Formats: sequence, C-alpha cells, structure tokens
Amino acid sequence: MERARLAAVGLSVVGVGISIYLTLLHYAGVAPACPTSGAFNCDAVLSSSYAVIPGTSVPTSAAGIVWFAVSALLWAWRFGPAHLVWAGVGLLTVLYLVFIEIVRLGAICLWCTAAHLLVVTLAMLTASLSLQGRGLGRGA
Amino acid sequence: MSSKPRGARQTRKPARKPVAGTPAWVGPAAVAAVLALVVATFLIIRWYTTPLPPKPLTTDSTAQVVAQITSLPQSEFDGIGQGTANNLIKPVAGTPLTGATGKPEVLYIGGEFCPYCAAERWPLIIALSRFGTFSGLQTTSSSSTDAYPNTPTFTFRSATYTSQYIDFRGVETSDRDRNPLQSPSAAEQALFNKYDAGGTIPFVDLGNRYAFTGSMYMPDALANKTWPQVANDLQDPSSAQAKAIIGSANLLTAAVCKMTSDQPAAVCSSATIQGLEKKLG
Repeated sequence: MERARLAAVGLSVVGVGISIYLTLLHYAGVAPACPTSGAFNCDAVLSSSYAVIPGTSVPTSAAGIVWFAVSALLWAWRFGPAHLVWAGVGLLTVLYLVFIEIVRLGAICLWCTAAHLLVVTLAMLTASLSLQGRGLGRGA
Repeated sequence: MSSKPRGARQTRKPARKPVAGTPAWVGPAAVAAVLALVVATFLIIRWYTTPLPPKPLTTDSTAQVVAQITSLPQSEFDGIGQGTANNLIKPVAGTPLTGATGKPEVLYIGGEFCPYCAAERWPLIIALSRFGTFSGLQTTSSSSTDAYPNTPTFTFRSATYTSQYIDFRGVETSDRDRNPLQSPSAAEQALFNKYDAGGTIPFVDLGNRYAFTGSMYMPDALANKTWPQVANDLQDPSSAQAKAIIGSANLLTAAVCKMTSDQPAAVCSSATIQGLEKKLG
C-alpha cells in the first residue's frame, strides 16, 4: 500500500510536469517537440479550438495541472472515496479528450497521450486499492 | 479385499480458508478493458465518419473558381482588413531573395497532403493574384488520413505565375498520399533550414524580408466544403471563410507590398494595406 501511494504521488508529479510544459508552450505560442504530420500530430491537437477549456482561452493542460496536483495531494493523504471520485473525473475527461483527438481531429498528441496514460494508470491503481480496501481482494 | 475400519485413523483435511471473491487485478483490468473498448469504438466512428475525398474539379470548373476568387472587389479587402487571420509573418534579415526573372521572389514550400498548406494556398493565390496571374492551378484536397481531412485546396505542382513585380516559386514536396513530388533547390532548402528549424510546412519566404510557417487560420474553416462553395463564401464579407481567408490575403498583400516598394499603387496604397504594413514592421 505504501509503495503504491508513493508511486501514485510520483506519477502525479510527472503529470504536473507534463501539464506545465504544455501550458507554457501554449502561452509561448511554440509547438512541442513532436511529429507534425500524420496520425501523430501534437500541433494539430494543441492548436485546435478544442485545446482550450470551452468558452475560455485557458488551455486544457492548465486543467491537467490542477488535476494532477490534487491527485498528488490526495495520494499523499489517506486512501479514501475521494480517490475514486477524482479518478472517475480524470478518466471521463481523458475519454472526452481522446474522443476529440480520434473522432474530431484525427490526430493524436503524444504529449497529451503521456498525460492520459498517467491518469489511466492512477485510475487503475485506485481501482486496485479500493478493491483491497473493501476486503474483497487477496491483497498485494 | 480388506477395508479399514471406520474411524480408525482418519486424516482430517484442514478446512479451506474461504477466499473472498474479487482478485485485486480485476479492477485495473476492468478499467483497461473498458478504455480499450471505448477507444476502439472511437476509431470505428472515425472510420465511418471520415468523408471520401472530393473529386477534383474539371479544368473549366477550376478556371471558374480561380477567376471567382481572384476578382474580389477592392471594397471587400478593405472592409475585412485582417479579419480573423492570425498574423504569423515575421521580419527576417537575409540577402534579398530574387527569382528566375530577377524580381523579388515569394517562395512557398509545402505538401499536398498537408491541411495547413491546403488552408494557406487560398489566401496565397488571392494575394499574389493582385500582383500577377496564375495559370495551371489544379484543385486537390489534403490527405484523408491527416488532421482536417480532405481540406479543399489547389496545388502549385504544375502552376506558373507571371507578374511584373514579383516572382513566385511553389514547391510541393509530396502528393496527398505522401509520395515524394518536387524537391527544393539547395538554396531553397538552406532558407527552409534557416528560417524553419522545426521543419514545419507550409513555409513561406517573402523575398527574405519576411517569413512564416503554418497557416494563418485553422483548416476547419473549410471542412466539408467544395471549391465552389468556398469561392461563394468568399463573396460574402461576413462569412467566417471570408474573414479568415481574405484577412490572411491582406496580410500577405501587405508583406508583398513591402517587397515591391508599394507597387502597384492600386493595391498597396489602400489604407487597409498601409495599416497592415505598419503592423508587419
């Protein structure tokens, strides 16, 4: 349990780092180091109208900073239902963003995918620990 | 047959410890499975909803569309100004770039598959047609498998341009299926490397006085449109397409006017172009 918590805090910090990087690039108007043609195209995703929170000029990566920061705080604290709720929020957001990438834009942003994978990993960790916490699992 | 008497030495099996249901790996596995299913569904939706590439127009229809977009009234250019275009044009300091006839040259390097190139060709053709005449333009659309699939556009692969003020050189490096098409000269490649370290296309060098990469508006402005529809949209100054494309064309016109020392006056002396020239620096 302790190791899982440490790993989760570490993954959340990495997520904060990626989100800060993407947010800084957005405000600097610079494309990230990433392919710019074909199915993997960070520029197509990050310069699209979907790259900002609807109705604002705030990049979605800023929301990523908040999500990962809260996740780090939660995991540094005691495991509880808040983790499940937060993981659910993260997963639903990831699904929405992946929908935009695949269906609307037809392009995948590798940096965003790295952040998405971190959310999914944290959600899997949450699912695993919550099963154990209920005494339904065999333990780690 | 002998049999052991009942109850003699009966080994008693230890009672099995009850194991409660769900193993710990089930949770993560369920999350992964649901995600994989959802992503597969997205891919199928994408596959079904990606439109087939539009059939290129005939030579006559192409000529009609080109004539329509290159004869827009001065009042429309003046009314729109920069429109919704994003000014990407940056001043550069290099040896003046001249073309085959010794006039200041506009160099374009792009690819037919590229949706941003597709978007940028519209304002480029409109702007340069204010200084000269294109011939041999053909319609095409960007890749069906890239972002903003099938964005309607033209190709410079067989186009020629004549003008008494400037030269134009268009290099289409790949066709819409990404097969190699044309190559820049060593000098053009050097400019591309110098001003476009990221290798982004389209790359446009305006006489080595200005350069930019990318498109000044997002290609989704042209989504699901045919060439004649875009041409018709450009007749309406209030349309999103006119604000984006003509706004971009005005910025390009201002940069070319800087190259030609404001010639021809009929194009360059308008208050709109003069104002944009100041913005370019």
